[in-house]
Amino acid sequence: MSSKKKVITLRSSDGEIFEVEEAVALEWLTIKPLVESGCTDAIPLPQVTGNILAKVIEYCKKHIGASESEDRKILYELESWDADFIKVDQGTLFDLIRAADYLTIKTLFEFTCQTVADTIKHKTIEEVRHIFRESNDFTPEEEKEIRGKSWWLQGL
Amino acid sequence: MAAKEESNHLPTKRLKSVSPVYDDPLSGEDEAVELELQLQLPHPAWSYPTTPASFVVSDASSPGLPIVYVNASFEHSTGYRADEVLGRNCRLLQCRSTLSQRRHPSVDLAVVSEIRRCLELGVEFDGELLNFRKDGTPLVNRLKLVPIYDDDGKVTHVVGIQMFSEAKINLNSMSCPVFKETSEQECDETGFYCQTNESPPLGPQHYEEMSGILQLSDEVLAHNILSKLTPRDIAAVGSACRRIRDIANTEHMWKMVCQNAWGRDVSGRLKQMTGKLGWGRLAREMTTLEAVRWKKLTVGGVVMPLRCNFSACAAGNRLVLFGGEGVNMQPMDDTFVLNLDAASPEWRRLSVESSPPGRWGHTLSCLNGSWLVVFGGCGKQGLLNDVFVLDLDAKQPTWREVSGGTPPLPRSWHSSYTVQGSKLIVSGGCTDAGVLLSDTFLLDLNVENPKWKEIPTSWSPPSRLGHSVSTYGKTKLLMFGGLAKRGHLRLRSGEAYVMDIESANGDGESQARWRQLECGGSSPPPRLDHVAVTMPCGRVLVFGGSIVGLHSPSQLFLLDPKEEKPSWRMLDVPGEAPQFAWGKSTCVVGGTRVLVLGGQTKEEWILNELHELCLASRQEPDA
Repeated sequence: MSSKKKVITLRSSDGEIFEVEEAVALEWLTIKPLVESGCTDAIPLPQVTGNILAKVIEYCKKHIGASESEDRKILYELESWDADFIKVDQGTLFDLIRAADYLTIKTLFEFTCQTVADTIKHKTIEEVRHIFRESNDFTPEEEKEIRGKSWWLQGL
Repeated sequence: MAAKEESNHLPTKRLKSVSPVYDDPLSGEDEAVELELQLQLPHPAWSYPTTPASFVVSDASSPGLPIVYVNASFEHSTGYRADEVLGRNCRLLQCRSTLSQRRHPSVDLAVVSEIRRCLELGVEFDGELLNFRKDGTPLVNRLKLVPIYDDDGKVTHVVGIQMFSEAKINLNSMSCPVFKETSEQECDETGFYCQTNESPPLGPQHYEEMSGILQLSDEVLAHNILSKLTPRDIAAVGSACRRIRDIANTEHMWKMVCQNAWGRDVSGRLKQMTGKLGWGRLAREMTTLEAVRWKKLTVGGVVMPLRCNFSACAAGNRLVLFGGEGVNMQPMDDTFVLNLDAASPEWRRLSVESSPPGRWGHTLSCLNGSWLVVFGGCGKQGLLNDVFVLDLDAKQPTWREVSGGTPPLPRSWHSSYTVQGSKLIVSGGCTDAGVLLSDTFLLDLNVENPKWKEIPTSWSPPSRLGHSVSTYGKTKLLMFGGLAKRGHLRLRSGEAYVMDIESANGDGESQARWRQLECGGSSPPPRLDHVAVTMPCGRVLVFGGSIVGLHSPSQLFLLDPKEEKPSWRMLDVPGEAPQFAWGKSTCVVGGTRVLVLGGQTKEEWILNELHELCLASRQEPDA
């Protein structure tokens, strides 16, 4: 093995080619076996588009090594970096969740899921519907029943 | 590694024996044999007389949990040969055909996510799951997963015990969403991608035409997002649209939410206390307190001689009472136990070899589920600052003195509380000279040589006695009420203060700081010696104590200190309320029962009459 850092090539669903350090790719458990097997071809990632893959790589590069740091300063800095990183539109956020799930990147997956959970905390039914642009698909009878049952949501 | 022929189909009945002896299914594979020996049949419902159990062993140290061993029964039940499944993930049984790499839509995702969660936590899973034979026949898999730990506490293997039975469902009548098949031939044989194949390719061109959150898979929604919310949030989110309602409104979902919001131990205890109430109902009742009521209980036995100013607390379902002030200010040193699990509970004197010196105005706290800890109080020779511990579950319960380094000043009428299961917090009280205190001490009794530590604070509330200290969150303290110093006077306090003891840890540079909590709503009237009960979700109930004027001690007040703008709420509780309730003689059992000791008069304690505040309705398990 040469002392030079090994680089892994990835290909997104739309054919974009990315190069990441091996250490980063090893954190992605889904492709870890391929990386470890010494695969030299570009690894196809048919479920991730180029722009999402770029975000994922950006996050993992920033986090590698830093997440385990015990230096409060570094952790604090990382936290504010994360806060900026996740300021994305909802579509991108959900794409990141699915990319992290697909690639099995635990830290990114947890972080993005927590972000969604935080968005829907302490909200009323209408607010939740609005946040996720969900349409109300209940029948008027069901809606009435829900209203009756959810009296306890108020004022808690 | 290859699976060997196993001649012995293990009847489940045999598995019930404590240490079954198996024919060696993997000659030379001592490890796997040992794994099997550790198994015990988990569920009595499993005793199908003739069906042999299937076994699967997966390697937990490799990514993707590859199967390393299956027994012959597995091959027979599923139609897969060992060599077809070794190296793959068990998840393949959730796919209807070998070509389809995605989970069949009728597989209950709540169960799947519960399995995933148990695997992550390294705890056992026990439940039912829809599986498919190799030929596509649906099967009900009564599954138990047991993680096997090595000496370092790391999970090395996961053993699955499966009882397959016929699934009576019509798959053709179910709507199966059609997803794009994706090309992943290079990884197919790992069985690794099953979990993601439900999703269409990602990309910006998709999200615009999809309604936000609904593009995530049910599993991610349930397991990774909704489970992070509180019961109240789930109720709101679950009312937003059909799909989320269907995901959210299952017992598995509620169980996950309760366990995440309240912690596994607490929710387990709550569930036990409330019998067959169900997780959804329990979550709702503990949130709304709609079922809260007072109940009067009569118990047998006697606590003699008569006394007051004792201290009591609950250890599991047992109430324990120690010491107190007898006639002529005699300090008492005896211990009494009331087992609420008994058919007809009665007070019994606990026979111990030796007792701590007699005392009153002390505190009794429960740690680690069964340890009782006495601290301080007023003894024959004046005030005390000693610590005694007794393990109620020991064969012969014995009071042991704990020498804890430099103890806090001797005191009485202080407040004690247990944090993180094993740490005793002592706050305030009154010294020999009648001086009120404002300090906070911590004693971690789980370490070998416990040492008292003062929690350095840069600001403390005015010194006081008879106040309550309770915890919310893991390390946050809430102080309420008491008799507090104000100028030259001592007045009942109605203020709440909070502090995070965690912020005091570390290098000593950072100090914790009490801060007054500005609360809106209808505040409880100032009081001392009252009851403060921390609910599993961190809210605090306050009632009882000594109050000026005509206020009723049984009026309940509820506060959530975690709220941005905390606000007191009054609760009207039906039933037979006690006339008096004192903090030191009130015990919280299992998180849902608050037992107030002491009958009707202020002077004489009638310990055979208890008032119970039931926070959730109890469904008798055998009803």
